[in-house]
Amino acid sequence: MNGTALLEVDKLEVVYQRAITAIQGVTLAVRKGQIVALLGTNGAGKTTTLRAISGFLGLDDARVTEGAVRFRGSRLENRPPHEITRRGLSLVPERDKVFPNLTVAENLQAVVRRGRSGDARVMDDAAYHFFPKLKELRKREAGLLSGGERQMLAIAAGLMCEPDLLLIDELSLGLAPVAVENLTQSLVSIRDELAISILLVEQSAGVALRIADYGYVLENGRIVLDGDAERLTRHADIQEFYLGQASGNRRSYRDVKQYRRSRRWYG
Amino acid sequence: MQFVVNIMVLAAIYALIACGYVLIYRVSRVLNLAHGELMMLGAYLLVATASAFAASPLMAVVFAAVMSLAVGGMVYLFLMRRMTGETVLAAVLTTVALGILIRGLIVLFWSAQQQHPRAMLGWDNPVIVLPGDARISLYSALLIVATVIVYGGLFLFLRFGRWGIRMRAAGQNPLLAAQRGINLHAVFALAWGLSTFTGAIAGMLIALDSGLDSTMTMIGLKAFPAALVGGLDSLVGALIGALIIAGAEVGVIRFIDPLLADVVPFIVLIVMLVIRPWGLFGTREELDRV
Amino acid sequence: MSKPLPSASGHFRRSYADEFRLIETRFAKAMTLVFAVFLIGFPFVASPFYVDLATQVFLASIGALALMLLTGIAGQISLGHAGLLAAGAFTAGILYKETAAPFWITIPASAVTGAVLGIVFGLPSLRLRGLYLAVSTLALHFVVVYLGGEYETRRGYSTGILVDPPVVFGFEIYSPRIWYFVLAAAAGIALLVSINLMRSRSGRAWRAIHSNETVAEALGIDMARYKLLAFVISSAMTSVAGALFAYYRGFVSIEAFSLYLTIQYVAMIIIGGMGNLLGALLGAVFVTLFPYLIEGLMSALPGADRLAGSVFAVNYAAFGFVMILFLVFEPQGLVGIWRRVRNYFLLWPFKHKALGGSS
Repeated sequence: MNGTALLEVDKLEVVYQRAITAIQGVTLAVRKGQIVALLGTNGAGKTTTLRAISGFLGLDDARVTEGAVRFRGSRLENRPPHEITRRGLSLVPERDKVFPNLTVAENLQAVVRRGRSGDARVMDDAAYHFFPKLKELRKREAGLLSGGERQMLAIAAGLMCEPDLLLIDELSLGLAPVAVENLTQSLVSIRDELAISILLVEQSAGVALRIADYGYVLENGRIVLDGDAERLTRHADIQEFYLGQASGNRRSYRDVKQYRRSRRWYG
Repeated sequence: MQFVVNIMVLAAIYALIACGYVLIYRVSRVLNLAHGELMMLGAYLLVATASAFAASPLMAVVFAAVMSLAVGGMVYLFLMRRMTGETVLAAVLTTVALGILIRGLIVLFWSAQQQHPRAMLGWDNPVIVLPGDARISLYSALLIVATVIVYGGLFLFLRFGRWGIRMRAAGQNPLLAAQRGINLHAVFALAWGLSTFTGAIAGMLIALDSGLDSTMTMIGLKAFPAALVGGLDSLVGALIGALIIAGAEVGVIRFIDPLLADVVPFIVLIVMLVIRPWGLFGTREELDRV
Repeated sequence: MSKPLPSASGHFRRSYADEFRLIETRFAKAMTLVFAVFLIGFPFVASPFYVDLATQVFLASIGALALMLLTGIAGQISLGHAGLLAAGAFTAGILYKETAAPFWITIPASAVTGAVLGIVFGLPSLRLRGLYLAVSTLALHFVVVYLGGEYETRRGYSTGILVDPPVVFGFEIYSPRIWYFVLAAAAGIALLVSINLMRSRSGRAWRAIHSNETVAEALGIDMARYKLLAFVISSAMTSVAGALFAYYRGFVSIEAFSLYLTIQYVAMIIIGGMGNLLGALLGAVFVTLFPYLIEGLMSALPGADRLAGSVFAVNYAAFGFVMILFLVFEPQGLVGIWRRVRNYFLLWPFKHKALGGSS
């Protein structure tokens, strides 16, 4: 690994209710200007990792028991969420990502900016620049938006925090492929124009690896694979189990189990 | 005509007090049963500043109002903040205990005797004769004006003010609000401050109108059905609820039995709880969130 | 009642009969006996003032136990306790005044009044939860108090109803010492009833409802029935306590049943410790004696005469302050403190109890 990392997660372990270990020894890094994908199936520990980074663990009686999260060199664990946002790290959550009774414009106004650009309108324009559709919907209550529009609004609101790093939980969940395509394009242009790094947590490897520079695969609470997006895309197991492209003859379910077992102690 | 004026004045009192209940409930889902005492404290602060600022009565009012704003914020920061995450019962009982503490302290500092801040400030309270031969005292009229101003101000603040929007956001989804960089403690403290501030304005005007002693808390308690009938999370509801409660109360005093006055708001409340527990304008899901 | 850690005390239940026993060990038996002897001997050695205090504590214990069953065990928040006490006191007072009914009629009658009111108070609980239930009971409190006040003014007893001492088997209960024993017995019965309710199906159903209504219903617990039952039993007990209060004071006035009285009872179960019958008793003792404690402290302070006028206000403020302290710093109440102390001595010289230990 070279270059200075914006976000470093180092051998992180999170335990729920002092009994259940959700993730163990998770190590990952996001460098400036990078889009990094964190892949994994349901229950692999993606959301837990994200919550540990964004400081939302306390609610479920979960705790970081080992390891560290460093953002631009300073530790982040167990800090109140609004402070983490103020340090330049903003999260787009998986569910409940907008304030349903507020209009689109109000959703954007509610955000506390870090105060870099003095004028609020500059950021407003930025949000509408990346998601022009929101401008038409400005006066509509967010609860009435479609799933794709909500996701746009959530990302736009995340941008309004003026972050250095945007964390997105389940970008494509429940959205039409066209909407996902648009969103991924917006993410790329956000990265290119504003130099904001993005950590993308996804179930759908196809979506994530298309725009990511680097990827990690999480399974049973451990990182089992990591590498350049290109390398991951070409990786046989990824193709088989995450992209659904069976290479050659079909394998039986027993082989799937085999794969899982062989990967378990990888990270 | 006098009948309508009486209803309007009482409704203004209830509405001005009820918005305090609504503000706090809306952002933090806590029912503040110390609101009556906090409002009374605001009125007593006026008594305190009245003797300190005898030369400039208006300054006394302004100073007392600002102090009550600070008191409300401090109540949150030093007491209610510790109750986040506790059960509803614990949080509500904390406010009850706070109310008792405040009442005790008030009697300790100012004695239980009736106070007359208006006389202390050297103001008088002329009766205004309205068309239709209805009479209204100056401070009763000011109460109505204050209610209109406070509701208008709150409406503008919540609709267009940056922190107003944040307050609404925090009330809807505190988690997401924190993720968007909103300092929840600041928002809650602001809600408590504003609530105490509006309550104190009501308390001061009532005290200026008709004197002040510790029975004022009963008015605070009777305003609470108004908030609930309208729906605990709706300002418009509080306004309508105040009108309903005041109408019922004045009507009962006029036509049935003056003794019923103190119990009518609660009878209306029971009826409402049976028919539509979430109130006229409240959100239905509130019930399950308690 | 909470039992000491079985494993730590070296006591094990060896048969089903052991499970049913109220007093399990020889040591507990001895302690109970000592306590009983103390209670019986107390009025003969203590001054009338202290006998009166103890009697007040017994009276408060009944109400506190009833509220603990309802709020602490069944989880139904009620802010109408003073209304129920008033209902009992007024039933006794009115029956006595209007029909000269004897003691053995007025007490059951107030229990019935309480039970009926319990249904009225409890009906909202079928639809409302938490905060809203508390509010509805609060509203009912005002209605009951209004009705009492209305009766007083209509009948011209605007200062209150005088109730003569009850006569039982031609024997007038008048002397404080007799009252001490009567109310001690009443409190004892209330405690026994509560303990046995806790150990029965109803008690288990209530605790299930308290922890999770949906799950309790899924387990086949008849929600409406057990919620109403909790209200009915609690209200009947409270009402009887109110009637006894009327007889003991010899005087009923609606003034006595303010919202503050409700808060005092709620404070008893909070300060005592939620969900625990011992807590109700400790809370009753604490809250009843608290004003006297403050008064004593104030008279000990220099310049006591100057402060004499503000005793009431100081009391009030101090009570609110103590309640806040308990809510914020010791949500488990006195029972929590008692448990920690007890476990410390039980386990000494070890510091921690074994994993999975009960209580």
